[in-house]
Amino acid sequence: MHNPTLSRRLFVIGNTLLLTLVTLLGIIPFVHLLSVSLSSNTAAMAGEVKLWPVGFNLDAYRYLGEKAEFFRSLWMSVERVVLGTVINLFLVFITAYPLSKPGSQFRSRTAYVWFFAITMFFGGGLIPTYMVVKMTGVIDSVWALILPGALNVWNMILMLNFFRSIPRELDEAATIDGAGHWTILWRVYLPVSLPSIATVGLFTIVGHWNSWFDGILYLNSPDKYPLQTYLSTLIMSINSQMTSLSIEQLEAMENLSEKTLRTAQIFMGALPIMLVYPFLQKYFVKGMTVGSVKE
Amino acid sequence: MKRIAPWKTMFAAAMTISLLSVTACSNSSDTPANSAQADTSGEEGQETTTPEPLGKYADTVTVTQVIGFNPPEDPRIPKGITPEQNAYLKDLKEMLNIEVKYKWTVPASQYEQKFSLAMASADLPDILELDQKNFEKLKKQGMLADLTQAYEDYASPALKKYMESDGGFAMKAFSADGKLLAIPGFEDPFLSAQLLWIRKDWLDKLKLGPPATMDELEQVALAFVRQDPDGNGKDDTYGIAAQKSLFYWGFDMRGLFNGFGAYPSVGDGQSAWLKDAEGRLIPGLIQPEVKTALGKLQSWYKDGILDKEFALKDENKSVEDITAGKVGISYGEWWYPNWPLNLNVDKDPTAEWMAVQIPGLDGSGQSLVPKMRSNRLVAVNQKFKHPEAAIKMINFYLEMGNKAYMEKNKPENGYVYNWFNPRIYNPAQIETIYTEVNKALEANQTEITLDDENYKNVADVFKASKDYLAGDTTQASKGVNWGQYFSRAAKDGGWGLTRQIKESGAFVHNEFYGLPTKTQVDKGAQLDKLMLESFTKIIMGAPLDEYDQFVASWKALGGDQITEEVNAWLSEKEG
Amino acid sequence: MKTFRREYPLHLMLLPGVVVTLIYAYGPMAGLVMAFQQFEPLAGFFRSSFIGFDNFTYVFALPDFERVVWNTVIISIAKMLLFLLVPLILALLLNEVTKRWFSRLIQSAIFLPFFLSWTVLGGVIIELFSLSGPVNGLAEAMGLDPVMFMLDNSWFRGIIIGTDVWKGMGYNMIVMLAAITGINATLYEAAQVDGASRWKQMLHITLPGMAPIVILLGVLSLGGILSAGFEQILILYNPTVYEGGDVIDTFVYRLGMFSQQYGPAAAVGLFKSVISVALVAGTYYAAYKYNGYRIF
Repeated sequence: MHNPTLSRRLFVIGNTLLLTLVTLLGIIPFVHLLSVSLSSNTAAMAGEVKLWPVGFNLDAYRYLGEKAEFFRSLWMSVERVVLGTVINLFLVFITAYPLSKPGSQFRSRTAYVWFFAITMFFGGGLIPTYMVVKMTGVIDSVWALILPGALNVWNMILMLNFFRSIPRELDEAATIDGAGHWTILWRVYLPVSLPSIATVGLFTIVGHWNSWFDGILYLNSPDKYPLQTYLSTLIMSINSQMTSLSIEQLEAMENLSEKTLRTAQIFMGALPIMLVYPFLQKYFVKGMTVGSVKE
Repeated sequence: MKRIAPWKTMFAAAMTISLLSVTACSNSSDTPANSAQADTSGEEGQETTTPEPLGKYADTVTVTQVIGFNPPEDPRIPKGITPEQNAYLKDLKEMLNIEVKYKWTVPASQYEQKFSLAMASADLPDILELDQKNFEKLKKQGMLADLTQAYEDYASPALKKYMESDGGFAMKAFSADGKLLAIPGFEDPFLSAQLLWIRKDWLDKLKLGPPATMDELEQVALAFVRQDPDGNGKDDTYGIAAQKSLFYWGFDMRGLFNGFGAYPSVGDGQSAWLKDAEGRLIPGLIQPEVKTALGKLQSWYKDGILDKEFALKDENKSVEDITAGKVGISYGEWWYPNWPLNLNVDKDPTAEWMAVQIPGLDGSGQSLVPKMRSNRLVAVNQKFKHPEAAIKMINFYLEMGNKAYMEKNKPENGYVYNWFNPRIYNPAQIETIYTEVNKALEANQTEITLDDENYKNVADVFKASKDYLAGDTTQASKGVNWGQYFSRAAKDGGWGLTRQIKESGAFVHNEFYGLPTKTQVDKGAQLDKLMLESFTKIIMGAPLDEYDQFVASWKALGGDQITEEVNAWLSEKEG
Repeated sequence: MKTFRREYPLHLMLLPGVVVTLIYAYGPMAGLVMAFQQFEPLAGFFRSSFIGFDNFTYVFALPDFERVVWNTVIISIAKMLLFLLVPLILALLLNEVTKRWFSRLIQSAIFLPFFLSWTVLGGVIIELFSLSGPVNGLAEAMGLDPVMFMLDNSWFRGIIIGTDVWKGMGYNMIVMLAAITGINATLYEAAQVDGASRWKQMLHITLPGMAPIVILLGVLSLGGILSAGFEQILILYNPTVYEGGDVIDTFVYRLGMFSQQYGPAAAVGLFKSVISVALVAGTYYAAYKYNGYRIF
């Protein structure tokens, strides 16, 4: 490590270049969106904006600042993400724990695992799901966006696999000390699984933030829409089966021409969630040190 | 029925007056208020009173509705207003004692999805706004109330005038066994007529005249490709706008095919239907003219008249190209100046657009026009106890268009007209706007003289036209004013030219206007795909004879069956 | 009885998850009967008529159905492999980055496109690969002929696969990074004492340590073999590339455009589900039988 070899140095340079390229590829669409939102509307409508604003101005953001719908739905999103993530993580955590036990300790585990796994592949479809949500009385509230997916099976299986990599000795030591399952779960598993909780937490947050269609289905008025549902109503194009444009649709099309404002909202809509990842990264690192100290 | 007679004659008289005197006196607006008052004072209960189109209920009637809505376009509308807060609803409550409850409100683009969920979970509102497909489904399930009596008794003169303006054709289409099941909102079918929109400043610059025939169009388009019409020294323009949906609601090829006497489509994958010599219906999609048109398009594609990548563009991309000044010719309907040509006019001050009748093989071509244009139907849930409330609400909406309400009925007061349902428009709305605005412009008036339920619509266009002609851009940009004026009011503009086409008879009717037949529903998607795939490939250079193969497959895969079904519809109709 | 007492708290822990799943995942599965019905929304499940396997035969007999299944399988297998390989390589490369800020920046940037919907990205991608776009600009600069990528059946699939991997690779990469952080740090210390090179450490510690997660991701992605990315393809495709780019989901979507064909759509859904479960269960039990290893 102290005297890196030539091949190591070459590798580091190549690696840095390659990863920089990948980084650029990821950033470009956002630069494009930002540029469009900062351009004049006619230039944006004419498709002249690439990676640099044309006819720079801040009108879109000024107008956005007054847009009550935007901030209202932003708040709804925050509410949804917070509530949803807490519930999801809790359920994932307590469900993954028993299922991470080997068959010798928990005989019905495999049956349970498949009970959950099946739901990843079979779904009843839109209408039946809607009817169930309606029957359970949560329609038109934030719970309709949280309860149907309260246990994310995919995340649960990920967590289950992370739990399995926790050294058995930790369990056994705790059991000998007379700790029950609940104690082991909270006192032993929780502290060592911070990286996996951060991972699953990130996916849950992003999942709640990004999903928009359930908002359309289960909420009965747009003032309850979370941000992405609201944004989706701005960029939807008209029904492709239409053969003529009515006068009202024409007005709607005129309205859609506000391309810079639309883009500003898309950009601002992605911004909060983009900041979540760097924040969670701390826990990835911390988790690693905790794990190694324990050994 | 006898009790109805007095008001009937009364309103017949009123109707005649309003018809005769378009320059009606302003105090005619007192009538509704008076009648509403008279009604409340004399009203004991629903059953015993004389039906009044705008009579106030003694007890509040609650109506449930659902709406798909767009955010208000008008910047003057108070920010953050929701459909529940629409000032129309407040007035409705005051005037008719009807209270609207929205079961749900959803952005317009998601309405269909949400409505089919509501249908599936049998959770329908009292008053329904339907398209033809859903109308048919609900009709089949017996879910729709009979509106015959309610319409007879309660429809206001204005509403009756509109409904009867087509001789009752549309109402009949939505009746079953003599029962009226929906109040159809229909429009002038000529709104669908195709025009050719072309950059006049480019023509002038290249010293070319507007094209009247296909050959001339080809010359103009070639010049637009090769002679740098925008004068920027770059080879960055192409001839005619086109996009991946060959037949669509805009920036598509319907008008182009029509110019060849070919009628392959009404705007989607479904064929248009023509009558042959024996009076049988034949699909326009498989007539020889279509092959001729495809052949020409193929050579135009090669010459760069069509964009090399049209097959991956959608309507947004076409709008971009028009706005950016990359293309100077597009086929389309009367509304283009309103959007998106106005964007180009605002971007490029020198841009100037004109409309010409679609070029044909020799002389002007004939556009396809439907027999009926009716996409919005107002129906009532058969469980609802007050079907007449729906009619009254339509009356109310029409009433609110009168000049008397103009002072109050303003966007800044929270009146969002396109959130209010049910509303029926004047089927001749655009024609009324055209005549009234022109009349006022010619007489150099400062205000329009019309005073009936059309006042608002006419006044808006008049204002924009005035501003445009005076070069006033304080209220709206030049493009926006011009767009209003040139689409609706200008004699050589969108509607101006369309009415000339209507008068000259230079059009062809689509003879099938029934609901999609069984095979159209079952096989439509596949036939559509087959058509799109082979037409696009031919235009992009595949052998022209692949068209014959297409015709054979189309017939075999269900086309023949559809032809039979469509003809069965015809013979049933002609009975 | 003794085992029950020991296992009882475990059952209790599972209870909330089981209840939620029963209601919201198993409840709607009653709707699968639609696949065997001439489903009429207004009539509902109880009054719609049963038509046996007619919906299945209707869909399977559609012209081009075979081509569409084939396209789906090709595209999704390619995506599946790349979704394992690319994030794996990225995670390993990132693991070699010693500057923490740089590593964080890259991780964030790779994850970024995940936040944008295809509706937003579609236009950008079409622009990127158009005749006047930067990709063709680059090709021309290198003396190559311009290509209409999005209209060319030999390129289109590649673009679909490539852009999807680009958009989604951050997700699996993060899972794999988390797996790396879970590897016991003492193993590396021991290896360093033994004088093993970085390459050797990667080969003998990191990779084996990640294996369970990589296998898990691989097996679960098998379940998606008949879904090749509906929204993406719907937004990017066009009639000229139906031949190579039309997949089951877009195909069914177009069927539904003319009238809501619930029955056939449900039949296709059920067909896909059965294949998915068969594949995943097959690999699961094969791994158990031959290796004694439970994937999940």
